Amino acid sequence: MRITCPYCGERDVREFSYLGGEPGPRPEGRDADIETMFEHVYQRPNPAGPIREYWYHAAGCHSWLIAERDTRTHAIAAVTAAADREVRS
Amino acid sequence: MAEPRWKPVTAWEGIAAPGLFGRIDGAPGVIIELGGHVGMASVSAPAAALGAHYGLALTEAPRAYKIGDMTLIWTAPAQWLATSDDRSLADRLGAALSGVAAVADQSDARAVVRLSGPKARDVLAKGCLVDLHPRAFGPGQVAMTVFGHINVMLRQIDERPTFEIALFRSMAESFWHWLGAAAGEFGADIRG
Ligand SMILES: [Zn+2]
Repeated sequence: MRITCPYCGERDVREFSYLGGEPGPRPEGRDADIETMFEHVYQRPNPAGPIREYWYHAAGCHSWLIAERDTRTHAIAAVTAAADREVRS
Repeated sequence: MAEPRWKPVTAWEGIAAPGLFGRIDGAPGVIIELGGHVGMASVSAPAAALGAHYGLALTEAPRAYKIGDMTLIWTAPAQWLATSDDRSLADRLGAALSGVAAVADQSDARAVVRLSGPKARDVLAKGCLVDLHPRAFGPGQVAMTVFGHINVMLRQIDERPTFEIALFRSMAESFWHWLGAAAGEFGADIRG
């Protein structure tokens, strides 16, 4: 598998480390009940299809990236720098 | 006055020495120049700000730029590695880039090696995750990548081709294990 870093170009997957799917917005900790926080921290969707996930170009430019990958085919539709992401609210 | 006991040594001291290495029949396939005492500094500033300072169109992309006696190498977004034969480079840059960039001295922090000769590309191809074919990689281009699990800065300097590799000094011996094994079959002319 190869990932196209928006800075470095197409690179072998061994240069990257994987964090996981992009989580939803963090619940307001002071107000959220324990079930809501449990859902946020531990429960992960595992869709068959496109997901957005974090990769770190650890052996390259040290950038956090967001890849849009189809879990059925591993085809990557786009990779963007996490620093440029739109923060969802 | 007593002779000082401390003597500066390059990162390759006790690891690699000038001479012929590996295959000895025929001309050496690769020339390996062991980097010595150079000036090196990390420069933290966005490409746009640094480019405006130097009047150059710098971009956040893996390339190297020659600016006077200095080579400015992109290593990460808003991160650069500056090298020069001038050992006072970091002091000089710190003053010149005041208000533009954060500068930290990196002289002696890295081991540097240059590869040239007809088999230079073949040696690197044995351990490189980056395509170094001329249609994919050329002079001025830089790759932050790994050789044998060791993080390196790799760049091509000219068409001959000449490649330069810089890595953290403490990894020099491990890197040499890889490089020696990779270059041996072609014969290496190691120059200090
Ligand atoms: Zn990268």
